[in-house]
Amino acid sequence: MQLNPSEISDLIKKKIENFDLSTQVHTEGTVVSVTDGIVRIHGLSQAMQGEMLEFTGGTFGMALNLERDSVGAVVLGSYQHISEGDTVKCTGKILEVPIGEALLGRVVDALGNPIDAKGAIDTTEFSPIEKIAPGVIARQSVDQPVQLGLKSIDAMIPVGRGQRELIIGDRQTGKTAIAIDAIINQKGTGIKCIYVAIGQKRSSIANVVRKLEEHDALAHTIIVVASASESAALQFIAPYTGCTMGEYFRDKGEDALIIYDDLTKQAWAYRQVSLLLRRPPGREAYPGDVFYLHSRLLERASRINATEVEKLTGGKVKGKTGSLTALPIIETQGGDVSAFVPTNVISITDGQIFLESNLFNSGIRPAVNAGLSVSRVGGAAQTKIIKKLGGGTRLDLAQYRELAAFAQFASDLDENTRKQIERGQRVTELMKQNQYSPMSVAQMAVSLFAANEGFLDTVEVNKVLDFESALQSYMKSEHKELMANINATGDFSSDISTGIRSAIETFVKTHSW
Amino acid sequence: MSELATLARPYAVAVFKRAKETDSAKTWSKNLAFVASVFSNKSISDLIDNPKIGKSALSTVLLDISEGQIDQEGQNFLKILIENNRLSLVPAITQLFETYKAEDEGSIEIDVTTAFAFTDETKKKFSSTLKKVFGKKVNMKVAVDSALIGGVLVRAGDQVIDASVRGQLQQLAQRL
Repeated sequence: MQLNPSEISDLIKKKIENFDLSTQVHTEGTVVSVTDGIVRIHGLSQAMQGEMLEFTGGTFGMALNLERDSVGAVVLGSYQHISEGDTVKCTGKILEVPIGEALLGRVVDALGNPIDAKGAIDTTEFSPIEKIAPGVIARQSVDQPVQLGLKSIDAMIPVGRGQRELIIGDRQTGKTAIAIDAIINQKGTGIKCIYVAIGQKRSSIANVVRKLEEHDALAHTIIVVASASESAALQFIAPYTGCTMGEYFRDKGEDALIIYDDLTKQAWAYRQVSLLLRRPPGREAYPGDVFYLHSRLLERASRINATEVEKLTGGKVKGKTGSLTALPIIETQGGDVSAFVPTNVISITDGQIFLESNLFNSGIRPAVNAGLSVSRVGGAAQTKIIKKLGGGTRLDLAQYRELAAFAQFASDLDENTRKQIERGQRVTELMKQNQYSPMSVAQMAVSLFAANEGFLDTVEVNKVLDFESALQSYMKSEHKELMANINATGDFSSDISTGIRSAIETFVKTHSW
Repeated sequence: MSELATLARPYAVAVFKRAKETDSAKTWSKNLAFVASVFSNKSISDLIDNPKIGKSALSTVLLDISEGQIDQEGQNFLKILIENNRLSLVPAITQLFETYKAEDEGSIEIDVTTAFAFTDETKKKFSSTLKKVFGKKVNMKVAVDSALIGGVLVRAGDQVIDASVRGQLQQLAQRL
């Protein structure tokens, strides 16, 4: 963008005109020590917990420890220029970040400053990063789905709008891949996405941004970045920043989806800050309030009712509920879900998607462990057709898991058991799905229908995916109306059932795969 | 600094309470000021830091120096400090004691920095205005600093009222 010089001076002139020369009244303190981004300040007797403090050179900090004679604060950003004896001012404000539509399609840091070289963010609205979650009266139960576009998840572990569903697994099990697919699948649904990257490599973040751009999914997404090279304080506040940006959409009666990638690293950052502030360490050296760290964040993901939306928008939006769905990610070490932070977050969330590295390595991707994964509220939100057809899948897989150990004695087994094992093998195969190729409800319904009604039983196990893709392209070209109808209503009527059945029957007779 | 204040507080509170009881705040004020001035002497502070000199020797030296300058209670206080190895706290104790005293008297220490020296009349006016603002008796210390360009900077403890041209320019710079 080229700026006209006169425009600039006009702008400055206007600013000077409107500048009111007020007397500043503030509380001041002196820096006593600076250690690893933690500053001890003498004075500042009026400082509030969580208040933004102004250091010299325009750097800001946050007061975290209020003691009798000193204040412990974290510096948000670089602290190299702060030295002993510097003055610190109270701002009288809790840390705030910009919010609004203008942030969509942008990459920002934990304070809401753009870092994508696309210019300033055109918004005037700000909101504090720490807010209390909506109360019980303001809430509404979860009954609408968020389609993640993954067969295995949407069929067996459905996520509803306003739900908190944990994605948990070891490193390299495809946790982020699920999150990115979920964002891509929200294209055109009106659900705004926020991806919060905490403690990740800048290169992986650049990859995520590029993939979202390639799939045309950046326009409805805000990316909040606190990379591994940024200070622990920024990594610790980044999820709250993202949550505040998501709440903006929730509070005006829209739906939003937020992904925290990942909360383990945030807990590490908070542990670092706490230990440097000399708070007493507890289990695994985490401070005593590490549970509250995550519970207060995840409580803010919720669905609020139309009355609350009307109240929050001052009557501008009527009859619409708002929601913020959260997909926190937790990385486990060696599959150990009984470590401190994983157990905490499992107990806070409304269910978890459990990813396993041995499934991943044996080629089952997404590597969802259907037995350990649950969704505690999503069932009520599932699309009717997927609910109907997905139930069978879950059962098939559960039975298969019990019998899988006997699979190698296939010839000695009775007819019934053998059939169950074969069905299980095919359903397991069918649950595989490529990255960056989310499916619509209708596509999923057709695949699940084929499995449920035994159309796959005659297909060889290693041909199941070929069969599926051939069937999908056939349905896409020959039965557009039926598919559109399913996508529009989500109902499972006898018309639709017979429609799908006859379509698959014709396909089986006339096509090869 | 803040750690020193924490350690000095019990001593300062004890001294202040004793001074209130015996109504001798002024004497204590003098005592503490004298001790603090003694410690600001380089050779004395070297002596205190010297590990070779025992507590009793140190006590004799210090009591000899302060003979006639501080009263009996002051000497006792000095002995306690020597016994507890807390001689380094004296400046902090003095400062805290003065704050408590000022608070008790309902007065407040205010540092005023101006760009140009006050005339007597404006000083009086300014002082009475400050009295209204803070609701307390005002002990005003005035300093001149031409770096302010114009206006005044008032500092009362942590609180700062910046009505200087420099402060306004800084605000403007931030806005732009």
